[in-house]
Amino acid sequence: MDVSNIIESLKLIKPEIAVSASLILVLIFDLIFHKDKKLIPYVALLGLFATGYFVIHQFGTTGFGFATKSTFKAFGMVTVDSFGTFFKLLILISAVLVLFFSSFSDEIKKTTDRLGEYYVLIFGMILGMFLMVSATDFLLIYLSMELLSLSSYVLAGFTKLRDRNSEASLKYVIYGSVSSGLMLFGISIIYGLTGSTNLYVINSLIQSPQINVLALSFALILVMAGMGFKISAAPFHFWTPDVYEGSPITITAFLSVASKAAGFGLLIRFIKTGFAAMTLNNGYWMLNPIFDWKLIIVILAILTMTLGNFSALWQNNLKRMLAYSSIAHAGYLLLGLAVFSNQGIAAILIYFFVYMLMNLGAFLIVMLIADKLGSEDVDDYDGLGYTSPFLGISLAVFLVSLTGLPPTAGFIGKLYIFSALIDAKMFVVAVIGVLNSVVSLYYYIRVLKHMYLVKPKIQPVEIIPGLSQKFLVLLLVVPVLFFGIYFSPIVELAKNCVVLLGF
Amino acid sequence: MLMLTEFGKVFIFILLGAIFVTIAIIAAKLVSPNRPTHEKLLTYECGENPVGSPWVKFNIRFYVVALIFLIFDVEVVLLFPWALVYKGFGIFGFLTGIIFLVILGLGMAYEWRKGDLEWARPHPIPPELDKVLSKKE
Amino acid sequence: MTLYDIIFYLFALITIGSAMLVVTTKNIVHAAFALLLTFFGVAGIYVLLAADFLAIVQIMVYVGGILVLIIFGVMLTNKITSVEIKTGTLNVLTASIVIGVFMGLVVSIMVWTGWYSMPAPIPATTAYGLGETLISDYALIFELLAMLLLIALVGAASIARREKESL
Repeated sequence: MDVSNIIESLKLIKPEIAVSASLILVLIFDLIFHKDKKLIPYVALLGLFATGYFVIHQFGTTGFGFATKSTFKAFGMVTVDSFGTFFKLLILISAVLVLFFSSFSDEIKKTTDRLGEYYVLIFGMILGMFLMVSATDFLLIYLSMELLSLSSYVLAGFTKLRDRNSEASLKYVIYGSVSSGLMLFGISIIYGLTGSTNLYVINSLIQSPQINVLALSFALILVMAGMGFKISAAPFHFWTPDVYEGSPITITAFLSVASKAAGFGLLIRFIKTGFAAMTLNNGYWMLNPIFDWKLIIVILAILTMTLGNFSALWQNNLKRMLAYSSIAHAGYLLLGLAVFSNQGIAAILIYFFVYMLMNLGAFLIVMLIADKLGSEDVDDYDGLGYTSPFLGISLAVFLVSLTGLPPTAGFIGKLYIFSALIDAKMFVVAVIGVLNSVVSLYYYIRVLKHMYLVKPKIQPVEIIPGLSQKFLVLLLVVPVLFFGIYFSPIVELAKNCVVLLGF
Repeated sequence: MLMLTEFGKVFIFILLGAIFVTIAIIAAKLVSPNRPTHEKLLTYECGENPVGSPWVKFNIRFYVVALIFLIFDVEVVLLFPWALVYKGFGIFGFLTGIIFLVILGLGMAYEWRKGDLEWARPHPIPPELDKVLSKKE
Repeated sequence: MTLYDIIFYLFALITIGSAMLVVTTKNIVHAAFALLLTFFGVAGIYVLLAADFLAIVQIMVYVGGILVLIIFGVMLTNKITSVEIKTGTLNVLTASIVIGVFMGLVVSIMVWTGWYSMPAPIPATTAYGLGETLISDYALIFELLAMLLLIALVGAASIARREKESL
């Protein structure tokens, strides 16, 4: 590859360069203004906005970057398309929101002397996620996943205030390294079979009949272990409750939305570029029959949502409950993927946008309450709905939306997923999905029951959020309600973003 | 086998070393008289009587330093192939490595500034004569 | 059986034998030292595969770095002598079934698969080729590795550093 090619490719990764530059800027600021950490959040915010400019600028741009000599077509390691850009925007919005959360969080305030590291690592996560959603080369996939993982391992145990915190970090590292090792083993088998790490090349090579199906299936299941870990799909979900419960709430919120989004972006792109022979006119993908992706994804999806929903029933800790609920949501999202059509992808994008709003909102309220109560236990929420009506009603909106009831945005997300399933004539799966939503109603409503119907044993505390906190909550509540009624903008955006570059 | 000759020499060297050590130990076991006493069985600690267990808890700073060493070790490993060939790529090849170095230099600066490279020095307070005297009174 | 084969089996024996020792020994320090032999054996196999640079890296990074780190990690443990570090085995039956199935799969795949192979001249040394690919094809990966190492540095230092309050 000549130099001009690289310079050409650099133009495609402007958002990633902006993220890296912000990371370095934050680090330098932290080093220069060693004593005064007040500036750092602003620098970080500035970096995010600069990145946002490049991301928005990138909408509509398509192209391959960093093609290697051995990739006989012009396919590169980085693929830029609207699908990836949508996910980048999603990650960026949640990063901005998490940045605001962090400025309110008591947990983060207690660790001011390491604030610089906190933001540096958040930028590290963002960089990893950005590259994950646009990677089409195993080397880059693995490297970007490691970037994300390393940063989140540290952030999960960042505050070091409680034992649970270190426990979360340790468990995350152990589960994470096992799954990453399995994935690496799978990648090495695929490389041994095809002699390439580029997904486009692999796509064309595995169509030849010489490929050993057993070896390929084994390798793909191993690769799924790595990706399933990131989206916390069922057999690889064990880390989720412990890590979500032990981490600082801001990080839990970020992990549950952005990290999952990046994992899904990667998984969808991996399947599409690696295995789709072509996209039919009606939007369905023709997948290479060598590996039955549909079966695997459907099984994973059903397992994930059922396990997530039924385990959530018995949780008293709200963070843990939301962790299991996020597992269940990963299951619904996998259902959207199982359709393997552009319609399903559009449904996933819609669902993710909504999920970001409602899940971040729920975590924000839990954080605000936990900062005052010092507890995330549902029994301590007794009667809170009357003493703190604003937070109570907001949490109610988010939980109803997470259940997927109208008139909230969560309903729209579920509606599109299930209608994609029904269009693909996957009725049984759709029915299982709906039944799961009914189960989830129980544990979401249980929180509301505690807030409004259970007689408190002690006089509940009154929690009055500050003006800026109120504004932030409203920033999330209003869209959840608004998009529940007027949802065509997201739907339009998502439909424009389903196009993945490739076959 | 031809291309391995250089490594072959290393291998033979290692093999010979291992054989030599084994022979020396076994020969010593066979030849030397064995009359252990309590004193002889003590751990040798520069002629002093050993105090306590040698397995003590290390200072955490050893670990931090080892971690930093490991990361820079990996950095060197990556820089080595670059240093071999960068000239052939002109200014571009040079820049590639320089960016790499600058990013990691920043890491070094970070460690330095945050004091991870400093050892916790003891701060002994030397006794002052007048204070000692005033205490006695 | 050529000399090459004999040397290969020697290294394989060293690797597998010491790896078995790592998992079976009760003494965690002995396990760490057995790991040294494992790494060494792997380095030998790399040499036989004509991956000379990788072999040196294996010795430098694993033996020189990671092993030292592991031993420090063991030594860091509070009250290392009084606490009995448990390295026993649990759930032997389940574990052996899972591992058996996994191993069976791996072995059968290894035997029956037609691996992608290309006749190529064995290079005298691999470091030059590695450098060239790192600069040209994988320039992005090269710079990303720098970012990864930076993140690792910052993360490791911030989590291992003792808090000012607790000093």
